[in-house]
Amino acid sequence: MTRHTQPEPCAPEQVTFELNGDVISQWVSPATTLLDILRGSGRITSARAGCRIGRCGACTVLLNGQAVPGCLVMAWQVSGGTVETVEGLAEDPDFVQVRDALATESALQCGYCTPGIAVSLVSGLRQQQNGDVVDLEEAVTGNLCRCTGYGGLKRAIAVLTEASSET
Amino acid sequence: MELKPQPGMAGTGVLERIEGRFGYATDQHHLPGLLHGAILRSRHAHARLLRVDTSRARLMPGVRAVVTAADVPGLNRFGIVVRDQPVLCEDRVRYEGDAIAAVAADTVEQARAALEVIDVDYAPLAVVDQAETAEQMSPLHGESNLLAREAFERGDTDAAFARCEVIVEHHYQTPRQMHAFMETEGGVAIPDNNGGVIFRVGCQSGHRDAEQLADILGLKPSQVTVEATPTGGAFGGKDELTIQPAAGILALQTGSPVLIHLDRFESCRTGIKRHPVSMIMTTGCDRQGRILAHRVDALLDTGAYASLGPAVLENFLDHATAPLYRIEAYSVSGRLVYTNNGVSGAFRGFGGNQATFAVESQIDALAEKLAMCPMELRRINLRTVDEPGSRGQVVRWTAPPSNVLAEAGASPLWAPAGSDLRRRWLTGTGMAMGAQGNGLGDGLPDSGGGRVSLTAEGRIRLEFGFSDYGQNLAEAITCLVCETLGCVAGDIDVVLGNSRGPDSGPTSASRSSVLIHGVLADILPRWNDCVRDQAAALTGLPRDQLHSGPGGLFAGGRQVLSYRELAEKGQPEQTLIDASQAFPVAPEGNQPVGRYLQLQISTVARVAVDRLTGRVRVTDLHHITAAGRVIYPPGYLGQIEGAAIMGLGMALSEDMPTRQGHYLADNLDQYIIPTMQDVPDQRVDVLDNTPTTDRFPVRGVGELGIEAVAPAICSAIEAATGIRVRHLPVDAGYLLAELCAQEETCS
Repeated sequence: MTRHTQPEPCAPEQVTFELNGDVISQWVSPATTLLDILRGSGRITSARAGCRIGRCGACTVLLNGQAVPGCLVMAWQVSGGTVETVEGLAEDPDFVQVRDALATESALQCGYCTPGIAVSLVSGLRQQQNGDVVDLEEAVTGNLCRCTGYGGLKRAIAVLTEASSET
Repeated sequence: MELKPQPGMAGTGVLERIEGRFGYATDQHHLPGLLHGAILRSRHAHARLLRVDTSRARLMPGVRAVVTAADVPGLNRFGIVVRDQPVLCEDRVRYEGDAIAAVAADTVEQARAALEVIDVDYAPLAVVDQAETAEQMSPLHGESNLLAREAFERGDTDAAFARCEVIVEHHYQTPRQMHAFMETEGGVAIPDNNGGVIFRVGCQSGHRDAEQLADILGLKPSQVTVEATPTGGAFGGKDELTIQPAAGILALQTGSPVLIHLDRFESCRTGIKRHPVSMIMTTGCDRQGRILAHRVDALLDTGAYASLGPAVLENFLDHATAPLYRIEAYSVSGRLVYTNNGVSGAFRGFGGNQATFAVESQIDALAEKLAMCPMELRRINLRTVDEPGSRGQVVRWTAPPSNVLAEAGASPLWAPAGSDLRRRWLTGTGMAMGAQGNGLGDGLPDSGGGRVSLTAEGRIRLEFGFSDYGQNLAEAITCLVCETLGCVAGDIDVVLGNSRGPDSGPTSASRSSVLIHGVLADILPRWNDCVRDQAAALTGLPRDQLHSGPGGLFAGGRQVLSYRELAEKGQPEQTLIDASQAFPVAPEGNQPVGRYLQLQISTVARVAVDRLTGRVRVTDLHHITAAGRVIYPPGYLGQIEGAAIMGLGMALSEDMPTRQGHYLADNLDQYIIPTMQDVPDQRVDVLDNTPTTDRFPVRGVGELGIEAVAPAICSAIEAATGIRVRHLPVDAGYLLAELCAQEETCS
C-alpha cells in the first residue's frame, strides 16, 4: 500500500557495493531502495522500514560515511559505494562510544528506532572529528522515537558531547 | 526528590536492541519456506460489498493462497469487548481500513500485485462522518449508531448549581491521536506440525489474543500459541488483534509460515486511534471557591467497531468527575457513537487524559472568574487521603494530593524565563494536575499470574505473560527478585509474553507493575523455602541457617551451594511455583466502581509563544509524581518522560482528521509527532510517601505522565498570551489571529 501507483519496474541491473566490509553484488531494478536490498540480503535487520518516505530515520545507514535514510537511496546510487550498518560497526570506536552512552543513559525503550539513532550519532561524531561543528541533537532530528520522549537520548548526547570536548 | 536515571543500570536486551539484533516479530524474514502476506483494504468508508472476485489474483505469479470471508474457518468476528469486527468483510465495509481479502505469495511484491487484481464491486452507502449526527443516520450495526451511553451522578446537581456564585461553561475538543509506534503492526504465523499455529506478533495480550484466534481459526485454544514479545511500541494500539487473523488463515491454508508487516500507509489507514472527544463542561463554585456543582456532556467518536470503546467511555467519565476534587454534586454523561471514521480504541490514558484536559481547564477558568490563584483554588478543593474517591469508592493514594500540589508550587519554572526569550517570544508558566487509577476497574474481571522456577541449568527463572515493548518490566522484576532473595541480576532469567506461560492478563491499564509486585510477594518466599529445604537435605545444614544470596545458598556468611549445584543435585522440577491473584480492588463491602489504587501527578509547563507565527514551544516540563515506590529508576523516568512527550504531541501537533470517512494523513510527514527539536528539558520529582507497611507500595506509571501535560501547556499559553485554548491540538493560526487582535485593541 503506497500513496501513488507504482510504474512498472525497470529491468534489473547489477549493483555492486561494499556492505560492512564484504562485497555485495546483486541484480536488482535500479530503483530498488537500499533498504530493501539490505533487508533482502538476509544479513541486516537493524535498518527498518518505519515510514518508507525518509521521515522516521529507522532505516538510517552510513553510505560513503554519510548518514542516509536507506528508504530514499536507490540501488543505482549505491553502486561502487560503501555501506555501513550497526551490524558492521560493533568494533568501531565511535559506535562503541555511542552504544555505551545509549545503554548507560537508558536512551531507549522498545529499541526499534535505536540502531538508526546510533548510526546518526556515529556520523555526527565522525564529522566532529573532521573538524566540523556538529550539534549531536541536530544530528538525530531525523530520527523519530515514540517511546522515550528523547529524555535519555538528550542525556546520552550530553555524555558524548562532554567526552568529545575532553579529547 | 528529583529522579535521576542512575547511569549504569543498563537493562536486559539493551545491547541487542542497539545493535539491531533483538528479534522483533517483523524481523523474522528468514524462516524456512516463509511466505509474505498482504491484505486488501476497502476503497470506501462505507459500502455494500456486491462481489469479490479473486480468480485473476489466484493466477498471479508466486501466489500461494487468496482468502476471503468464505475461507475464515471459525468465527469471522473479533473485538475485545464486543466481537463486531469482521476478520474479512462478507457483505459490507464500514471504514477505509476494513479487510476484504488476503494473499500469501513468495514475495511481498507478488502478494501486493495480486491484491491489485482482486475485483471488488461496491455499492457506496451514506458515510456517517459526523459524531454529532451519527444517531440520526442509518446504523452501522444493529438498531442504532449509539453504542453506549453512560452517566455517573452524585447529589442534586441542579440544586447545587443554583447555589453557585460563579459558573463557567466551555466546549472542549480533543484530537484523534495516532499511536505511531515505530514498529508498524506485523509478525508471523507459523503452522505447527499438529494443525495448530504459533504466532510471533507484536501485541499486548498474548493469552487473550490466543483465545480469539482459536475461535477465528476454528482451533482448540491449546492449538494456538502467541509469543507476544518483543514488540516495537504499542501504547494501546496493539491491544486489539491486527494482522494475526489474516496471517493465521493464510498459514493454515498454505501450511507455511506467513509474515505480514503493514507499511506505514496501511498502518495509518487501518490502525486504532485515540477517541476524539467533544464535550461541554459546566462547573460552579461558591464565593470562597469551593466547587459545588459540575456537569459534563460528552460525545466520543468510536468509529466503525466497538473495540475497547465502552471501557474508554467509562474511564473518560471516571476522570470527568474530577476525581482529585471534592465536589458536592455532579452529573457527567457521555455517548459513544459508531461512525465510518476509522476505529478508535485503547490509547495510553484511555479517555482519562481527554477528560482531565477539560477538568483542569475548568479549574483555571473558575479561578480567573474569582480573581483567585488557580493553585489556591485547587488547594481548597483537593481531596484528602482519608476521603473516598469521586464515585464513593474506597481509594488508596500514595501521598496526600495537597503535597503534590505544593511541590508544583515550589517548581523553579515559575521564575520568569531568560530575557533572550522575551523579545520575539511571549513566555509563561502554567500547571495542571491529574489522577490516574491502576487496573481495568469498574468491577471488570481483572487478575494475573506469574511463575518462578529453578531451571536445570541453575538459573532463577521468572515468567509473566506481559508483553515487553521496552517498558523495563524485566528490569523491574529483576530488581524485586534481587531485593527479596538477595541474589544478583546474573542469577535471573526473565521470560515475558508467551501464551504457553502464565496468564498475567493484558499489558495495559498501568496494571503490570502492581501484579508483578503482588505475585512476587506471594511466590518468592515459597520458592525460597523450597530451595532451602532442598539445600538443607543436600548439605545437612539446618534450613534456618540457610538463605539465598548471590550465586547460590549461604550459611554463616559463606556460600555452601551454588544454584547450579542445587539444580544438578536437587530436584529443580519441584521448585516451580505458580500463582495468580486478583488485581487489588476496594475491600469487600465497598462499591466496586472506579479504581482503588490511585496515583497523582502535577505537571508544570513553561512555554514560549512566537509572536510572529503563533507557534508554541514548550521549553520546560516539571512533573511531580506520587505513584508509589520507584523500583527501576530509568524505567520510571522513561515512562513519565515518554508519556509526557506523547501528551505534548497531542497538545500541539497531533491529529488525524477525517473527511467523508477518509483519514487526511497517511504517513509521518503529514501526521506530526515530536522530534528531538520539539521536546523540552524535563524534570521528574517523586513523592514517595508510601508507608513500608502499605500492601500495595508499587504502582504502574505507564499512563500517569500523559495525564496533565496538555492542560498544563494550555495554562502556560494563557499565562504567556492571555488566550485560553480549549480545542486541541493548539492551532498556531488561531493563536496568531488572537495575538494580532490583541495588538490592534492595544494600539
